[in-house]
Amino acid sequence: MAMDLDEPLDAAAVAEMGEAALQRLCDADPALFLSPSADLAAAARAASRHIYSSLAPLSPAQPPPFPSLLAGPAFDAEQIWSQIELLDRPLLPHLRRQLRRLEQQPPSQPQPPLEKPAVAEREQSEEEDGEGSESEELKEEEEEEELEETDDVEEMGDDYEEEEELDGRERKGVEDKFLKIDEMAEFLDRGDEEEYGGGAKRGEKKAKKNWMESDDEDEEDEDGDEDDEDEDQLDLEDFEDDDEEAEGAGEIMYKDFFEKGHKKEAKKKDGYTKKVQFKDEAHEIEVDGSEDDDDGNDEQVLSTHEKERLKMRAKIEQMEKANLDPSTWTMRGEVTSSNRPKNSALEVDLDFEHNVRPAPVITEEVTASLEEMIKKRIAEGQFDDVEKPSIVPSKAPKEHKELDESKSKKGLAELYEDDYAQKAGLAPAPLSISDELKKEGSALFKRICLKLDALSHFHFAPKPVIEDMSVQANVPALAMEEIAPVAVSDAAMLAPEEIFEGKGDIKEEGELTQAERKRRRANKKRKYAGSHKERPASLQKD
Amino acid sequence: MIRRNIRKRREYLYSKSLEGTERALFEKKRLLRAALEEGKPIPTELRNEEHELRRQIDLEDQQRQVPKSIVDDEYATATVREPKILLTTSRNPSAPLTQFVKELKVVFPNSQRMNRGGQVISEIVESCRSHDITDLILVHEHRGQPDGLIVSHLPHGPTAYFGLLNVVTRHDIKDRKAMGKMSEAYPHLILDNFSTQIGERTATILKHLFPVPKPDSKRIITFANRDDYISFRHHVYEKPGGPKSIDLKEVGPRFELRLYQIKLGTVEQNEAKSEFVLRPYINTSKKQKTLGA
Repeated sequence: MAMDLDEPLDAAAVAEMGEAALQRLCDADPALFLSPSADLAAAARAASRHIYSSLAPLSPAQPPPFPSLLAGPAFDAEQIWSQIELLDRPLLPHLRRQLRRLEQQPPSQPQPPLEKPAVAEREQSEEEDGEGSESEELKEEEEEEELEETDDVEEMGDDYEEEEELDGRERKGVEDKFLKIDEMAEFLDRGDEEEYGGGAKRGEKKAKKNWMESDDEDEEDEDGDEDDEDEDQLDLEDFEDDDEEAEGAGEIMYKDFFEKGHKKEAKKKDGYTKKVQFKDEAHEIEVDGSEDDDDGNDEQVLSTHEKERLKMRAKIEQMEKANLDPSTWTMRGEVTSSNRPKNSALEVDLDFEHNVRPAPVITEEVTASLEEMIKKRIAEGQFDDVEKPSIVPSKAPKEHKELDESKSKKGLAELYEDDYAQKAGLAPAPLSISDELKKEGSALFKRICLKLDALSHFHFAPKPVIEDMSVQANVPALAMEEIAPVAVSDAAMLAPEEIFEGKGDIKEEGELTQAERKRRRANKKRKYAGSHKERPASLQKD
Repeated sequence: MIRRNIRKRREYLYSKSLEGTERALFEKKRLLRAALEEGKPIPTELRNEEHELRRQIDLEDQQRQVPKSIVDDEYATATVREPKILLTTSRNPSAPLTQFVKELKVVFPNSQRMNRGGQVISEIVESCRSHDITDLILVHEHRGQPDGLIVSHLPHGPTAYFGLLNVVTRHDIKDRKAMGKMSEAYPHLILDNFSTQIGERTATILKHLFPVPKPDSKRIITFANRDDYISFRHHVYEKPGGPKSIDLKEVGPRFELRLYQIKLGTVEQNEAKSEFVLRPYINTSKKQKTLGA
């Protein structure tokens, strides 16, 4: 028959058969696999079926797409393989998340008691796999989740997130819609990969490769276990000089970090031996090679510390260089156009506050409001014109003397006497009140005038001439000199022009020549004749 | 001329130094006058000087009652004489600028326009002084647009520097025939919203560019201060339907002035003291209202 439908009804028997098949495969000589043998194929199918059924309950997608693996002789490798893939596709990330959660959590968290009968099966499968305590915890956690899960769990993504959320709420109050510890852990792992050249995930990657390559999926679990181990051990070893997979989980001591030299080396050696245990030979070789290389100071493959140091050095150099170099022109203080590259200010996005009020835009409203104001002012007649100045009198008002019309009692001669006496200073002038004021006024004015004259350093126009009538005797100088006293000068005598007005050469009668005498007479006659013509006609002689 | 100028400068400095004491004296006289009028006892601080002050009060007349300041000095004779203005431009003016200056010549009565040629500012100012010109106005431009106006009062007077914005000239308006000719009567002035001290000063500077108008003149020139920008408008009005209805017709150029400096000397005096300088880049420049309200 095509399908091998002879499945024993008893679950335990089925399990036993599967176990047996698995054992047979393990014990088989590898050379036998080179040639196709029906026996081995059947065993492989049985083993696959067994393992599938043991894993199916663990899968996050419940119910699993295939409750049991259809691995009859009719199905070829491709079909079986795709079924397995269907189961495993959601499983692996789920397992990874579990592991990470475990990493964050201290492993000594008390697990709630489990009661389902399914536990027994799983425990069996765990035993088969032969894992350490962590994986147990991991499985237990998985069970927890599945206990918590309700029926409608279809999409893997939602599942995971829900689970994680539930767990998160239980465990830590830190997580909210922005922060997810798992995502943060993922991010950190990625960072670690970059920093340390993927050493973190090396094991996992290799494991994946192996998983892809191999036909047996019993390697899956083991590789998965390896991953778990790797991941757990990683962050403890990050800061050590040793290579990644040196120590096991619980064996890191204070003295490994803080006591120098020999202990680490001892550990290294242990690491050596431990590494040999791994199936991943390529990985091993690489690690061994790196150990040798480190001793030999070869640059090809460096330890994480070396790499870190190099990176740090490069960063330091870069920063020092940046500090020493002249900064970009935008970071310097006052920069004029000659100090920066051409047109660079056009490219930079300059932002500064404009403290100036913008210029007014003359809109219709503005014009209208102005005109309103103007009209109002016109209506009121209120303008701001220049005012005409009030006329300040520059001259003092004239004094109007009142004429006394009564006949004066003094005679004319007496009046003249009084005047002369005043001028000569023989009789004192009669005092009057107005005179006093006048005197005061004139005294003040004189003082002011003096000050004003001082302003111009006494360079001013000469005193106005006061015309005085006084008699000047036209006495010849000789006579004056003889009689008059010495103090009298001849400057007050008449000037020559005042004696004679005329021009030219003056000759007396005795000095004239005949011709000149005749000329004079002729002139006289002409004058006489001219003046006589002007007389009225009646008086002229006929 | 030089000595005269030196003397005048000394006079100015001396009178400025006296201003303080004069103001104090004026204050005392005012107090005394007030006390005498009200019949209250004389304030104790004036007891010693009371006799002297009384005598001075008796001798005072209208003019002497107001305390003088140098500012008043500058425009003291402005009311007596009619202003005589000379308009000119910066060097090598463009055609639009010359057109604008021609329009300004019509706006200011008693004004003359002069081609700049290659004259130096000091020469111009000297010739103005000798020709008894009271104000010199310089107009500057940027690529055809008039952008600067400098008004300098000539016998040592203050100089006001304005920036011009939003200039609309009569030449720009196409429909010239509708505008008609510009009236050349002496205009009435409206100076609106010049309330601060600098505002008052600017108002006097602008006011004394114009002569005393006739009361029935129909021409109005407005300088309205809005937000430190002075709007210049030139209207001719009519009252067609009785005194209440007013018909404004805009005539003449229209521009905004922005005062950015007042100096206490003429244009050519570079070291003259600044009475006011605009500071647009200080942090509180938005809040400042220098010209009023």
